Amino acid sequence: MSDQTQAPPAPPPTHVTLTIDGKTATVPKGTNVLEAAKTVGIDISAFCYHPGLSIAACCRQCLVAVEKNPKLQPSCQQVVGEGMVVHTTDVASTTARKQMLEFTLVNHPIDCPICDKAGECTLQRHYFEHDNADSRIDTPKVEKPKVVDLGPHIVLDAERCILCTRCIRVCDEVAGQHQLEMKQRGDHEELTTAPGQRLDNPYSLNTVDVCPVGALTSKDFRFTMRAWELDATPSICQGCATGCNTEIHHKDGRAWRLVPRHNPEVNGHWMCDEGRFTYADLREQRLAVATVDGLPATWDRAVKTAAAKLAALPKDGGAIAVVLSAQASNEDNFALAKLAAAWNAKLFVAARPERGERADGKLRVADVNPNRAGVAAIAPTAADLTDFEIGVNTGAIRAVVFLGHDLPVSETALRRLREFDCVIALATHERGPVKAAGIALPIAAWAEAHASVTNADGKVQRMHAAFAPPGQAVPGWEAVARLASAVGAKVAWAGARDVWKDMTATVKPWAGAPWGREVRPLSLRFAGSRG
Amino acid sequence: MADLKTLVLGRKEVAELDDEHELPHELMTVNMGPSHPAMHGTVRIVLTVDGERIVKGDVQPGYLHRCFEKEAEHATYTQIFPYTDRLNYVSPMINNCGYAMAVEKLLGITAQIPRRAEFIRVIVSEVSRITDHLTCVGASAMELGAFTPFLYFLKAREWLYTLLEEVSGARLTHSYVRVGGVGKDLPAGWLAKLEVRLTELEAVMVEVEQMLNLNKIFRDRMAGVGAISRADALAWGQTGPIGRAAGIDYDVRKDHPYSVYGEFEFDVPLGTTGDCLDRYLVRIEEIKQSMRILRQAAAAIPDGPIMIDDGRVALPPKAAAYNTIEAMIRHFKHVVDGIKVPAGEAYTFVEGGNGELGFFIVGDGTGRPYKCYVRSPSFVHLSTAEKIFHNHLIADIVPIFGMINMIGGECDK
Repeated sequence: MSDQTQAPPAPPPTHVTLTIDGKTATVPKGTNVLEAAKTVGIDISAFCYHPGLSIAACCRQCLVAVEKNPKLQPSCQQVVGEGMVVHTTDVASTTARKQMLEFTLVNHPIDCPICDKAGECTLQRHYFEHDNADSRIDTPKVEKPKVVDLGPHIVLDAERCILCTRCIRVCDEVAGQHQLEMKQRGDHEELTTAPGQRLDNPYSLNTVDVCPVGALTSKDFRFTMRAWELDATPSICQGCATGCNTEIHHKDGRAWRLVPRHNPEVNGHWMCDEGRFTYADLREQRLAVATVDGLPATWDRAVKTAAAKLAALPKDGGAIAVVLSAQASNEDNFALAKLAAAWNAKLFVAARPERGERADGKLRVADVNPNRAGVAAIAPTAADLTDFEIGVNTGAIRAVVFLGHDLPVSETALRRLREFDCVIALATHERGPVKAAGIALPIAAWAEAHASVTNADGKVQRMHAAFAPPGQAVPGWEAVARLASAVGAKVAWAGARDVWKDMTATVKPWAGAPWGREVRPLSLRFAGSRG
Repeated sequence: MADLKTLVLGRKEVAELDDEHELPHELMTVNMGPSHPAMHGTVRIVLTVDGERIVKGDVQPGYLHRCFEKEAEHATYTQIFPYTDRLNYVSPMINNCGYAMAVEKLLGITAQIPRRAEFIRVIVSEVSRITDHLTCVGASAMELGAFTPFLYFLKAREWLYTLLEEVSGARLTHSYVRVGGVGKDLPAGWLAKLEVRLTELEAVMVEVEQMLNLNKIFRDRMAGVGAISRADALAWGQTGPIGRAAGIDYDVRKDHPYSVYGEFEFDVPLGTTGDCLDRYLVRIEEIKQSMRILRQAAAAIPDGPIMIDDGRVALPPKAAAYNTIEAMIRHFKHVVDGIKVPAGEAYTFVEGGNGELGFFIVGDGTGRPYKCYVRSPSFVHLSTAEKIFHNHLIADIVPIFGMINMIGGECDK
């Protein structure tokens, strides 16, 4: 009983308590009113505010009434104070926000049917939810340039721009390059490139994401697919070892774009342009069917041929080289390493060479392999390809099983590989050494299987299957299991979760890591979150 | 089959059977449907017969299952209207209204629907009820050999379908009602046309009733056939003409007046025996009562808007959508995202052609329902069919099934 009479525990001194529309919110000091309102389920409309950028308070769309303050305050800029009383539904602030929307729409073109942002547009959402009034304007709209080529990836439609300046701040604060500016004033104000500049930096496409309307559009995505028809599946960027969290936006088995997914520990709100284009490779030169000596074969025939060739080798396994890939997932590498252990084969790791010019101290790093740390954890003793090349050239290695299509070895070694009787590739793409392999087994790429990768910081991050792999491709671990059953090795799993359990029980750094929740593609149309 | 025979003979009074005088016989299984002229709407009945007598009639619906409820979870609230048309497809307007009312209840705008829209909903619903009953009675009479009433009633039904086509643009699948009102106003002079057709329909009713009411063949096939007691009807959840034929004085329009039904005078006909003849008579009387409501509504319908004045619910006029960005956004959000319905759940029920037609909707705050359940009276009624068939002759299935008026689209959802 005594518990009930006690006062509720006082918030820690780092927090302040305020009242918003009669609801009590306790938030850390320094939070703005807009974010504090979100914690109690109040959505104050805003255009120029972005949680990952500095505060501009130039759109005036988030005005709220703060008691004892004679003027309405922009809630994005207003820092919370102890005992502050905020009203967002009173007549003054509601009218102010509605009128701001009306002003914003005065010169907005009637472009929704042809606008790429339609369906995920912040202006559409705020108008529909916060204003929804009829037009009162009959004057002609101010006309501005509709197609301005700002840079290699981005086109500007100046009429649609609502002058929020988010894109300017992205260039300044994320890319660190001042490439965009505003010119003119009033209703002639217009976004433009800074003198002598183009919108050309490694993070430029983030401006398209933060644009609350369809003013900035990506040349890669515009006029290809309607945003609301896409499904979103969380994934991890495969461009480098940073492992930016992404969403694959896809439809009917085809990815159309990658956008960053907020993760404060890894990438914040952003990702680089190069990473965004990695989706295109999912459709290029895919290996969709198993091949034996370059000709299509059934899975059954391919693994039986492989088993026969392996059986002809000395039993101690010393002549077999198994090459793991820093481009492939933890699961696929773990499965193949386990099979290699059953054979007592030598382990190597293939990785793409570092690109020093990429490293910028932000998100981009020199290591362009998404899973180098993961392979290192799975197979700490695996040698790199220098030893592999020596082994191939001296004849110590007589059979090769490799994962992926990246096998950066010299031409001489590749030529020698072609003469080998037993080269088995587990590959997503039909490229380079895969073409030379006697047996190629098709496996699912990163967007097509439930798997995980480990970034440079050792963080194991999960990718979800967005759509089915092409043709007869199966997840890499399943391809390994099929090969194992043909050679009589006891390596088999019932599903991706089974592999995960096996892996987290075996690989020490990941002991006891949870499988987490499986995520299914979410229809953006009904997600209600974008825009 | 021996077990079944024992079971059945045990259920039937064994004492009545005189084995010495009966010929040796075996139980036989006969398929009736799914492709059979009397199994309208495609349903299969697996009959176990003892001679001509039905021992067990296993009704197997589902041939018209279209996943209505699941489909509804992937369509916006407005896109669901065409699906509701295909529930009871001889009275789609009533389905439209029932569904719209459920969404409106969830939105909390039931009281703000314009009066003219409510009157139009009542008018089109009652016209639909008449077409429903005309079809049911006409088809049943035809299946019993009386072809003329069928032709007369279908002729009359076509007049009414033509009227509904003028209102909605579609003869059968109207998709006319909207959340917040109706799609378009009644065409000019429509109510006068309706009155002309009602007068002509009265003449047709006299003709058909003269042919059927005292027709010995018709009465012999209907009276005392397929009777269900009031208690049984209650226990089995029978509503509509079937429930009322059994003496249950329940009509949603009277007992839970929705829309503007409370303002009209009409009677709820009741049967006494609960057999097929009573079901027929109840339906005939309901056609007349519907005509009564129609005449009152046509006289009292007010002028005014036919759609709620709320930007969140009503589509903007086309001219505005093409010429102002505000209306364009609203139009876009309506069509692509759907009407934003708050999270919560609502159940509404209306008097459908066959009984209480209910819609239960769970909203999750997006533009589509999280769950949309329909209480379809045909499904409830069909579940009693096996019980009613028992001990009747094979030929009796035809009037019984006809008077249950199972509508495949509604029963199978």
